[in-house]
Amino acid sequence: METKPDLVLLQIEPRTPIPDFMLREIQSKLAYADEHIRAASVSPEGIQLQVEPGTSQPELIEKVQRIVESLAYGAIKPKVQILEDYMDRPVPSRLDPMPELIRMGEVSPESAGVFAFGPLVVRLMEFFESQFLALADSFQAAPYRFPTMIPASYLGRVNYFRAFPHSLTFATHLRSDLDVIDEFSQHAACEEGELQSPSKSFAAVKNLLSPAVCYHLYFALADKPLPQGQVIATAVGHCFRYEANNLASLERLWDFTMREVIFVGSKDFVLENRETARQRMRQTFERIGLAYRVESANDPFFIGEFRKQAAFQSAFQLKFEISARLPYKESTLAVGSYNYHQDFFGRNLNITLPDGSPAHTGCAAFGLERMAFAFLAQFGLDTSQWPAEVRQAVA
Amino acid sequence: MNTNEDQDLTLQVQNLLAEAIQVPLELVTPDLAFGDLPQWDSLGHMEVMLKLEEQYGVAIDADRIARLISIPEICRFLQEDHHGN
Repeated sequence: METKPDLVLLQIEPRTPIPDFMLREIQSKLAYADEHIRAASVSPEGIQLQVEPGTSQPELIEKVQRIVESLAYGAIKPKVQILEDYMDRPVPSRLDPMPELIRMGEVSPESAGVFAFGPLVVRLMEFFESQFLALADSFQAAPYRFPTMIPASYLGRVNYFRAFPHSLTFATHLRSDLDVIDEFSQHAACEEGELQSPSKSFAAVKNLLSPAVCYHLYFALADKPLPQGQVIATAVGHCFRYEANNLASLERLWDFTMREVIFVGSKDFVLENRETARQRMRQTFERIGLAYRVESANDPFFIGEFRKQAAFQSAFQLKFEISARLPYKESTLAVGSYNYHQDFFGRNLNITLPDGSPAHTGCAAFGLERMAFAFLAQFGLDTSQWPAEVRQAVA
Repeated sequence: MNTNEDQDLTLQVQNLLAEAIQVPLELVTPDLAFGDLPQWDSLGHMEVMLKLEEQYGVAIDADRIARLISIPEICRFLQEDHHGN
């Protein structure tokens, strides 16, 4: 790890041995250990942190050890299942597209994890969106449109605060009080990107920025029998997941766009449709020539929940990610996933099948920015190197 | 293993399960399966697995988590795989 000159390098020997399969997960979670950590690297040799000068090291080290212990102690090795492997498809580019995208004005960083996009990237995202819409049409999925915000009470009802507290994004406003609003309008200012205003000026949080699209559908179906015993729906929306200093490039965005095809019904109905969606997308990716694999995965649960929830997801093969190849770093990027939630939402939200039992749910979800980024990483910015279908659609 | 031992083991597992998912013992029938009670959900199931690990020294892996989804399955596992009977 290259150390920036204004940062202090800290080497930590973990108290709890870290199994190899947990290295990546622990590295990503260390971003939430302390605000003074600017970068973290976890390897079998130990933990390296870059921290701001003047940081209280004993406290920080203790928090790091807590995270490691919570995730590594008794960690259950995930069951890895690869359903598709097309990683060796030949692709023409090995360059990181990000510097050139920024130079061309196709990507404009606004703040950490927040980007504006220019015409080429937008048209590419629209091309992929058309592919996902075609998938939705093949199921005759009913179109829905959901708000960007989601009530706190909704997320509370499905235990989201416990499972993913680290990635929440809160929406608030000034208190409806003339003195507060006057004070704010006269004195509010931004310093180093931070709004300077007393926290008591803000109203209690009743809404958050939505972390997923499908939750809205489940709440729309809550507390009543499922119409005709099954639903297939589709929606696109902005989603928000805060990733601290893991936010980088277009690989990890705070604000991103997700298209979902959502299945609600019996267990067999959901599992069969999830599988059909995967088969249909396999044909799409083959036509485009994307290098990728589909493999079992787990959601990024926070430390308290990780061991149990991730092990359960892995054991029951509830989540399969579409991992696209990033040739410039010989790594992969999750651009979508095929998910099965069993009857978790059916039970918690009282969505019932005609026989009175809780409905099962699942979805196929695709990140449009990541999809476009992975394509550009594999095919480059020279459109003459692109597959004809994509070139014609974007021209 | 004779029938009395079978019954003893089933009762032990019923007790373990009631404690793990925090429900009264009378709700835990000898043939109870994952999902039969709202408390035996994904998190509840993992509590059961961790209790098995703790009380019987059983190593829990992904295959076992997916397989041990009813009291009869757990008892069978403890008899055959763990005790080696």
